[in-house]
Amino acid sequence: MLVKKRSGSANGPHILSTLSAAVGGAIDRRTFLRRSGIAAGGAALAAALPVGAVRQAQAAGPAAPAGKIEMRKTVCTHCSVGCTVEAEVVNGVWVGQEPGYDSPFNLGAHCAKGASVREHAHGERRLKHPMKLEGGKWKKISWDEAVNEVGDRLLKIREANGPDSVFWLGSAKHNNEQAYLIRKFAALWGTNNIDHQARICHSTTVAGVANTWGYGAMTNSYNDIHNSKLIFLIGGNPAEAHPVAMQHMLHAKEKTKAKFIVADPRFTRTAARADEYMRFRPGTDVALIWGILWHVLDNGWEDKEYIRRRVYGFEDIRAEVAKWTPEEVERVTGVPGAQVKRVAQLMASNKPGTLIWCMGGTQHSNGNNNTRAYCILQLALGNMGVSGGGTNIFRGHDNVQGATDFGVVADSLPGYYGLAEGSWKHWARVWGLDYDYLLSRFHSKEMMEATGIPVSRWIDGVLEPAENLEQPESLKGMVFWGHAPNSQTRLPEMKQAMEKLDTLVIIDPYPTVASVLSDRTDGVYLLPAATQFETYGSATASNRSLQWREKVIEPLFESLPDHVIMYKFAKKFGFADELVKNIQVNGEEPVIEDITREFNKGMWTIGYTGQSPERLKEHMKYQHTFDKTTLRAVGGPLDGEYYGLPWPCWGTPEMRHTGSANLYDTSIPVAQGGMGFRARFGVERNGTNLLAEDSWPVGSEIEDGYPEFTMAMLKKLGWDKDLTDDERKAIEAVGGDSANWKTDLSGGIQRVAIAHGCAPYGNAKARTVVWTFPDPVPLHREPLYTPRRDLVADYPTYEDKTFWRVPTMYASIQKNDFSKDFPLILTSGRLVEYEGGGDETRSNPWLAELQQDMFAEVNPYDANNAGIRNGADLWLHGPNGGKVLVKALVTERVGRGVVFMPFHFGGVFQGKSLRDKYPQGADPIVLGESSNTAQTYGYDSVTQMQETKATLCRIEAA
Amino acid sequence: MGKMVFLCDGDRCIECNACVTACKNENEVPWGINRRRVVTLDDGTPGEKSLSVACMHCSDAPCVNVCPTNVIYHTNDGVVLHNKDGCIGCGYCFYACPFGAPQYPQEGNFGSRGKMDKCTFCNGGPEETFSQAEYTKYGRNRLAEGKLPLCAEMCSTKALLAGDANEVSDIYRQRVVERGFDSGAYGFSQSFGQQQKL
Amino acid sequence: MRHPIVFLLAALAAVVAFGPWAPAAAQDVRPPANATQHVQPTPGGPGIEAAPPATMRYPSITGQWGEIVDGERGYVSIPDKKAGRLIQTQGMDWLSWRSEEVRRYGAYAVAAMLIALTGFFAVKGRVKVDSGLSGRLIQRFKTHEIIGHWLTAGSFLLLALTGTWLLFGRPLLMPVLGADGYALTAEISKYMHNFGGFVFMAGLLYIFLVWVRHNLWDRYDFNWIIKAGGFLAKNSHPPADKFNFGQKTVFWMVVLLGLALSVTGLNLLMPFWFVDEIELMQWSQIVHAGLGMGMFALMLAHIYIGSVGMEHAFKAMSTGWVDINWAREHHSVWVDKYVAGNNPERRGESRPPTDGEQAHGHRSAAE
Repeated sequence: MLVKKRSGSANGPHILSTLSAAVGGAIDRRTFLRRSGIAAGGAALAAALPVGAVRQAQAAGPAAPAGKIEMRKTVCTHCSVGCTVEAEVVNGVWVGQEPGYDSPFNLGAHCAKGASVREHAHGERRLKHPMKLEGGKWKKISWDEAVNEVGDRLLKIREANGPDSVFWLGSAKHNNEQAYLIRKFAALWGTNNIDHQARICHSTTVAGVANTWGYGAMTNSYNDIHNSKLIFLIGGNPAEAHPVAMQHMLHAKEKTKAKFIVADPRFTRTAARADEYMRFRPGTDVALIWGILWHVLDNGWEDKEYIRRRVYGFEDIRAEVAKWTPEEVERVTGVPGAQVKRVAQLMASNKPGTLIWCMGGTQHSNGNNNTRAYCILQLALGNMGVSGGGTNIFRGHDNVQGATDFGVVADSLPGYYGLAEGSWKHWARVWGLDYDYLLSRFHSKEMMEATGIPVSRWIDGVLEPAENLEQPESLKGMVFWGHAPNSQTRLPEMKQAMEKLDTLVIIDPYPTVASVLSDRTDGVYLLPAATQFETYGSATASNRSLQWREKVIEPLFESLPDHVIMYKFAKKFGFADELVKNIQVNGEEPVIEDITREFNKGMWTIGYTGQSPERLKEHMKYQHTFDKTTLRAVGGPLDGEYYGLPWPCWGTPEMRHTGSANLYDTSIPVAQGGMGFRARFGVERNGTNLLAEDSWPVGSEIEDGYPEFTMAMLKKLGWDKDLTDDERKAIEAVGGDSANWKTDLSGGIQRVAIAHGCAPYGNAKARTVVWTFPDPVPLHREPLYTPRRDLVADYPTYEDKTFWRVPTMYASIQKNDFSKDFPLILTSGRLVEYEGGGDETRSNPWLAELQQDMFAEVNPYDANNAGIRNGADLWLHGPNGGKVLVKALVTERVGRGVVFMPFHFGGVFQGKSLRDKYPQGADPIVLGESSNTAQTYGYDSVTQMQETKATLCRIEAA
Repeated sequence: MGKMVFLCDGDRCIECNACVTACKNENEVPWGINRRRVVTLDDGTPGEKSLSVACMHCSDAPCVNVCPTNVIYHTNDGVVLHNKDGCIGCGYCFYACPFGAPQYPQEGNFGSRGKMDKCTFCNGGPEETFSQAEYTKYGRNRLAEGKLPLCAEMCSTKALLAGDANEVSDIYRQRVVERGFDSGAYGFSQSFGQQQKL
Repeated sequence: MRHPIVFLLAALAAVVAFGPWAPAAAQDVRPPANATQHVQPTPGGPGIEAAPPATMRYPSITGQWGEIVDGERGYVSIPDKKAGRLIQTQGMDWLSWRSEEVRRYGAYAVAAMLIALTGFFAVKGRVKVDSGLSGRLIQRFKTHEIIGHWLTAGSFLLLALTGTWLLFGRPLLMPVLGADGYALTAEISKYMHNFGGFVFMAGLLYIFLVWVRHNLWDRYDFNWIIKAGGFLAKNSHPPADKFNFGQKTVFWMVVLLGLALSVTGLNLLMPFWFVDEIELMQWSQIVHAGLGMGMFALMLAHIYIGSVGMEHAFKAMSTGWVDINWAREHHSVWVDKYVAGNNPERRGESRPPTDGEQAHGHRSAAE
């Protein structure tokens, strides 16, 4: 009994022999998992990792037992870092998970969520088969019944109320191909009422950043932070939200001695690792940034030459910033003047510095102002377009960047083409469809070109009378295709909206809060979707790199991959042929690679054209050849390419563009990922040149700024003779001279421009003044629910307006003083163990065990005033009438007057558990109040981002 | 002969709990048993520091000493393992352990303990290496496969190190030297001073 | 040594007293194949108390743990908040107490008692019924009292046996039974100990309720104490009621020690149900084992006097009927009350009075 074999001397009957005997069929998956005890011997990693991981302290030798262990490489589905997951699969069962040491992104590391993704293969709390709610009871139905019944109901709504009465709520959990397909699916259905989580996550970033310099994405990469001399992080908590990113940040802190500054209302786990922590009042980001910039300008620390060459409108910024004296900044933000000055000094003297933000900055009614203010600070310091600098915007979900890029949004077709007629025609060409056919699918041309209702406002799309909406009828049907409703504010109203709907469809691996929140007794359908581990395809990480996932296991139970479900519904709706015109279908599964190839043919704007499935698979295969800092392959078959071909990866796959690791970097040629700012806003405004001056990517034959490339421009330059005949033909087909780099389906214009060292999208200045926005120069505006009534007069919010089809209130809310009854500021954020609405992670026992109670962080001062002890229950009331019963976590982590709640919980509503409303066996292990039950009204003035980071509340002992 | 150790770098650990779930994953550790846990000191205040804790595989292990049935032992690699067959769930190893490592399923009579469970350094147990019995009772035997414990391999910030004592301390020393120069100049990194004494 | 019992007791005393240390060298009878550094510091040897947790031998680890104050608590997200405690070094003290002091002094107590009893028996012999047996039996204990006694006594013997089995097993029994064999018996012992504890507590409660009023001190006790229960002089029999002072002492010791053992035992049985601090668990264990050994020793005396040590005494707890002559010698007040109350009597064996001196030792051997 006590005979312990010496480690390393593997012999004796191997588990596999037991297995192969049992695999006849008698063995069920669970038994198999429990029996699994082996793994292929990992090849010893020779080189020490840059951050000093210990590996193979003593490679003990003979491990690898013979067996049919297959290693499948996939990517974690929990955040945008894109950690490689190496799955060990034996006979179709996921038996083990190994660290993906080769991945430049995670170097083997994971956070709690990534280290537990294998639990997906247990899937005990998964939604196991299609179900419908009938007389208040969940009833199991078949897929055919489900598709028929749901299809009939939605078609009936379409018939009676028009296509815009069904809302297709897509997901950041789709892979790129599915995201692209669902946008096409919505177009064929005939509505722009399609959206996804990015709306309530980084929509203000995408809008703000894209309108500043062209593209709305992280400009550099997690790895590039290694080169930073300073990290300024505002409104983000990567230690919990992107833990593996912290590896790169700590690496910079230790190796390059980067100064690490965290600005946040909460002293987060990240702040605990910082050199300097600035606590400021929620909702005062613009004031704080202008406060820093005030010192920079006051001392002349700005990069004047950089501004002259590459920045437009800086004088307007100077004028605004001049108002933000240290005294005023302290009055508004609460940050001591001396600290602001110290930070400004640090930022000016430690370059390049990177600026990172997350949802703390975006989720405000003036979120677009926040994001632009951050960008402007970086421009002033000359930190843009340099390695180690940039705005490193950490996206949330694993593929929220991709889903945004592929237009799972109410205001654009894939690739940010928008909704104009020309955009529709471009995509009609790519899809091989008639423009007129597409038009016929819509209620009208006007509705075809009008932005849809954003996900943050679907509630109002249901509850508002049709005459208040800028669409023919209110919403009657709602399809949650991978979305947790508890991640949205105003849950009590959402409950009403759900009850008012005709049909509620939930397509998800888990039932989600959508299945239990309302008191409906009929007309709710649950369709089990497969996770990304049960299908394959590409996903775009935060740094714009695409990674190809392999399928780890077959879909569990009766679940199906999203694209199969889309195809089923397309058949039901009668547009299956149109949906897959260029795509081969195996059984009912559209072939993923064909979808990739199709979007390669249309995504010219942001350079999703070079990433063919073949290239992406090679990148996964040769992960180890990429440098862990530059992301560039050193030698090997992919020499010189950037890992995952971060977009823009210009031209066709055959052109083999390297991808672009750092945006707007003029120190490298365009062919190797260099570029200036995008010429997106014209060539001049009010007589001022918008194009770059004395700045161009090295190797450019045009040594100046230039507009975006068109056929006419090529001709003018005489470069059109470089086009091949095929390219010329393709260009003629889309309009000859008027064809441009975005519409040329051959990629010829891009190819020729790059051959001459030019970026296809032009070479312009970044604009600090966005004249198309409500606040051309970013302004501080008090949150709708502000405790500082004294500041409302000086910094009022916007006037009420109707946009995105729904009436939206600003001033009419802010004019009321809620602060008397609701004296505390309420903000929200993430926990490392959970993600999003949390239905998936709270169903994973390995994670759920670690966070079993919903809580609110309260400062001891406020807790004592309210008579609440640590660990006790408290009622938190929001000014919209919602209330939650949560545990008190009394801590100095939050400042006086601020209460924090994590937003991952659900399944308890205003004190009442909804556990018995879940389909049996599919209830998450941990339930809790949703912070959004108490969260309030308030939407960004450009993107309808919800304002969850600064509202009000009152706490009472329960 | 090597001596396996864990080391948690408190200046790196961010309480992401990857080590905890990696352990659960690799060894199918049941609900309620935490072979590894992360403790945060001074939570929410400047000086906050997290440490990941499990069995430290002490060379002079009190559990080995106290066990009434003498089922806890050292391997050649200095890993402390135990034989669950002989464990009577008395809980004495938990009383003796400085780190609170031993865990017990609540399956005994009157809610008392079942057989002790603890971190095995991913080295299985006394059953035959790679056997089903070994996996069921103790979890994976990664060491025998030539791999290190998964908790350390998956640590998000490489705070948790595992491996031969000399190599681990070399890496840690190197880090301390690197940090040394500007430490203390800013903010909360007050622990640097103490570490330099190493 | 005039008597086999003397020899037996003496031998047992020797084993108990020196047992734990004798085979210390043979502790690792069956080390696992790869258990090379089977370090078990000798109890009492240098190091246990002084040594910090052994990991601190590695300087790198000292760097991390050195700053942490013993007992310092941090935040953990899991519900078991005890897990927030990073280091508890008093476990080393507990370990040393359990392995050394409790074992040593517990063994000493039992051994000393055995030696004392052996000596007493050797010197004094069996206490006879001086006035012989009259053949007239009166009922000293009713059946329910006898059941109550034996429930308590039987379960206590079981607990004492299984408890010492666990306390001394590793050094004493494992060399004999082998690791697996001992583990099996230890596991069985643990279960018997865990369940037996409830029987003991029930019995204890019962005898307390039944006998407490007889065990309140009364006017005869002072005299009894002065005369040391009659042990000092021949044919001296100080009067006593149903229980004499010596028995009352045993009663209260049993009740109090039993209560302490029950409380600590329940705490150990249901770890962390009643307390949150590991110190209290450790103290419970030390107190439980220490008092257990003490009570074991005490009960040896009780057993001795109720069986080998005194003629006829055992009858009281076997049949419940005792000879009135024996009763008169030890419980004269009670007998008077009994007779006065016209209580039932039976016929039993009779024997003429004898000279105690003559009969010493030989008689009992003949019995």
